[in-house]
Amino acid sequence: MTSRYFEDVNVDDELDPREELPTEDKAIDFFGRDNPTNPAFGDAEAGRKQGFGGALVPGLLKMAWITNYVSNWGGPDAHVQSVRMAFRRPDVAGNPLTIAGRVVDKRKENEQNIVELECVTLADGQPSVRANVQVALPSREG
Amino acid sequence: MTEPEESLITDEHRAKIGVKSEPRSVTVNQEDAHRMRDLLGDTDPRYADGTGVAPPYVLSGLGVRPDRNLMPQVLPNGLLTQIEWRFFKPLLIGATLQAVSSVIDIRDRLGGRYGYSVLVMTQTEYLDESGEPVAASLQSITQFDPKGARS
Repeated sequence: MTSRYFEDVNVDDELDPREELPTEDKAIDFFGRDNPTNPAFGDAEAGRKQGFGGALVPGLLKMAWITNYVSNWGGPDAHVQSVRMAFRRPDVAGNPLTIAGRVVDKRKENEQNIVELECVTLADGQPSVRANVQVALPSREG
Repeated sequence: MTEPEESLITDEHRAKIGVKSEPRSVTVNQEDAHRMRDLLGDTDPRYADGTGVAPPYVLSGLGVRPDRNLMPQVLPNGLLTQIEWRFFKPLLIGATLQAVSSVIDIRDRLGGRYGYSVLVMTQTEYLDESGEPVAASLQSITQFDPKGARS
């Protein structure tokens, strides 16, 4: 894991995509097995009863994946400051998700080096989540 | 569910806007942080066991949800449709945060995947022992009746 510096980032830079396979077990383990959540997260039948095609992938798990995706891209001196996400379509366990991202802005703000990224999760090639993430990066100028 | 001719949001529902929950304690522990890091394959050395710091996404998985008594329940099911998290300070292992939530808006939504639905927007602020904000979240929940879902 290496540091990414503000000066080395350009608008329109693309992040390497990452694939995740959501499962019912991951959904339950994310919240903890003794922490009851929406039954549709761990049970395909409960998901279908709620109008989905199977077990629902928790939005907060997708948020954690995207936060981690951007944090990994930024390296050990990067600080994710905010994540804003719109859930466009429900995702169902067992369908692989591709996470992709692109730099859309960089600026100095309150003496911080802020980079803004747009990220998506793609299921069957269609966006299911759109996210805007702000991350503070270190500067080569110290 | 067919679309109603008038809003199902009542004055009783609207009265819940702005009412703050009692503070609820959330303790960030090593076990939860470790489990979530493992699940995500997060190898960031800043958050390794023994550093005393948890990745920020751990807070989202710890289960602080808007207080049921404060949530207007217009339709039977709810789905998270938008969320924003802001992180102000590192999340320290062992820290006990106080989470205070409130409903900030409620509105009708016509059309869409579930037919008539209701958007409920909530905010939660997480304060440390000094009363300083560590993180904050905004959530939009779409309440719907699964019978109204369009195939």
